[in-house]
Amino acid sequence: MLEIKNLHVRIAEDETEIIKGLNLSVTAGEVAAIMGPNGSGKSTLSYVLSGKEDYEITEGSITYNGEDLLEMDVSERAAAGVFLAFQYPVEIPGVPTMTFLKEAMNAQRKQRGEDELTTPDFIKRVRAAAGDLKIDFNMLKRPVNVGFSGGEKKRAEILQMSLLEPKLCVLDETDSGLDIDALKVVSDGVNLLRDPNRAVIVITHYQRLLDHIVPDTVHVLSNGQIVKSGDKSLALELEEKGYADIIAAAA
Amino acid sequence: MTAHTPRILTDGETALFAAYDAAKPAGFETARDAAIEALRGSGLPTRRIEAFHYTDLRALLRGQYQIAERPGEDAAREIGARFPRLVEDAAVLHFRDGHYFDWGEELPAGVSVDAALPDLTDADDAVAQLNTAFATSGTTITIAQDAEVERTVGIAHAHTGAENTIAAMRTTIVAEAGSNCRLIDRAVGPDEVLYLHSSVVDIQIGDKATVNYVLSIEEGDAAQRLAQLNVSIGAEATLNLFILNAGGKLVRQEINFDVVGENANLNISGVNLVGGDAHIDVTSSITHHVPHTNAEEIFRNVATERGNGVFQGQINVRQAAQLTDARMACNTLLLSDDCGFSAKPELEIFADDVQCAHGATVTDLEDSYMFYLMARGISENTARRMLIRAFVAEIVEELEDEALIEALENRIDIWMERHV
Repeated sequence: MLEIKNLHVRIAEDETEIIKGLNLSVTAGEVAAIMGPNGSGKSTLSYVLSGKEDYEITEGSITYNGEDLLEMDVSERAAAGVFLAFQYPVEIPGVPTMTFLKEAMNAQRKQRGEDELTTPDFIKRVRAAAGDLKIDFNMLKRPVNVGFSGGEKKRAEILQMSLLEPKLCVLDETDSGLDIDALKVVSDGVNLLRDPNRAVIVITHYQRLLDHIVPDTVHVLSNGQIVKSGDKSLALELEEKGYADIIAAAA
Repeated sequence: MTAHTPRILTDGETALFAAYDAAKPAGFETARDAAIEALRGSGLPTRRIEAFHYTDLRALLRGQYQIAERPGEDAAREIGARFPRLVEDAAVLHFRDGHYFDWGEELPAGVSVDAALPDLTDADDAVAQLNTAFATSGTTITIAQDAEVERTVGIAHAHTGAENTIAAMRTTIVAEAGSNCRLIDRAVGPDEVLYLHSSVVDIQIGDKATVNYVLSIEEGDAAQRLAQLNVSIGAEATLNLFILNAGGKLVRQEINFDVVGENANLNISGVNLVGGDAHIDVTSSITHHVPHTNAEEIFRNVATERGNGVFQGQINVRQAAQLTDARMACNTLLLSDDCGFSAKPELEIFADDVQCAHGATVTDLEDSYMFYLMARGISENTARRMLIRAFVAEIVEELEDEALIEALENRIDIWMERHV
């Protein structure tokens, strides 16, 4: 589903190279965890996958379902099924959450050549998904993420993910700022979306999230490269020994 | 020794004076002649006059003008049908090309209308002078003492499309003490037709009266509008004024307020949409004459393409007007490299115990908002429109009337479809 080859990325503004020859392959149905210390390039990778403009690809390629992902703009990628669950979801004053959700869902349906959702059908879907994630429906009457707590924002991200039914989910430190109960709710939400046709990339610092969302593969990102890959036991090893040892051994 | 060179008239000035000489409108000859003589003497205002610093009327007012004739009944009705009402059940006074059409609209109880030109007197500024010279029709609308008028009263001007014509009207509104009403003043016209619409509205708000006034400017995209709203506000009276600018090639809308009664409240808000080649100028002047009055003024502006917007906000606090509380804000979205917006606050305060604040901001759409919306599959253009709508909706939604809010947001959407 996703094939990243020899990817080099720098920050457009100051030309600092962040990703330095990254290779990664994720297949449909796979849950891949990407772990790494601060500054290793984890968030940059998630932004590059979603198409944020502040980065420059200097070398390498990203192929998504046979297509050149780098040729698509942000909304085209999303409409094609790439979903980024933000580490810091943005508050947008004045844009009602329901209007936003409807626009987003219809944009994807349009891309797939389907009719727009009727209002009752739309409300029904949102209510059901909100229920699963223990989100108070009244909260969705507010502007996008405005006044939401950190945990509520993360749950709202997963709500969007379940409504948009993406093919490739990228969770950027979705566990940050979550208490144990919220972590469980969010993880259950993600697990519900596990599907043979869907791939999930979980970006995290900690093993803790991977107790709930059990990965098929674990990749260690350090200084802009994947330095080690393994199965879920690699995450446990990291938890035990810390990044320094593993990275030193890989080097 | 100074040598005076005779001023050379621009084509626009020549055309205006010729139009007056060819067919001066009936009545008030002394006032009209005085107004036109004053204009002849000074010429149209240029940027050397402070109040016109950003809007050089002499340079901008071009055209070959003649006074618009009264259009036929069919044409008058046909143009109206092209612009659906903002409020369904309003009692509307119809004007076409500066002429009044009495179509027998039933007026709500407490409202009376005299469909004759209000007294025209000499004026001391160009916008009023042009109106005095050219006004062909007008009305006086009176809201009776203590009348609670529920139905909206509409003042609707539509231009039927006669090229190079001047359509001028004068309106007086008297809201007697204790009355409560809502008025919608709307100007529409066809695109691609150069016409000049001149409108002066004088409003007297009696003690303890409330006037809710919506001014919706939807002139055609080649139209010129020179207009003035002059308001005097009595004790414990309230004016809630909302202005939408969503049309016109050249708009100079002056709004002047005299706060003459204690504990009067003035709430002014507006949305100025400036696209295409439009030059939209809202110039406001509030004078507090007496103690204990409040004024709040907020405009949200959206400029794009080659549009040029102006907001001048003057607050005058006279020496007697202690404890005045006046606030002014002007927030602008600049969306293209070729658009511009000039915002100028002016405070003139002679009292020593007052609160006056003003602020202006200019921004582009927030990148992080755009990225978030687009990362959910929403196209760049839709995302822009959603954010612009959010920016102006905050002001529109304070109107507290769902149907009117929807109608105005609909006008805003139509503007965005063309310009964003």
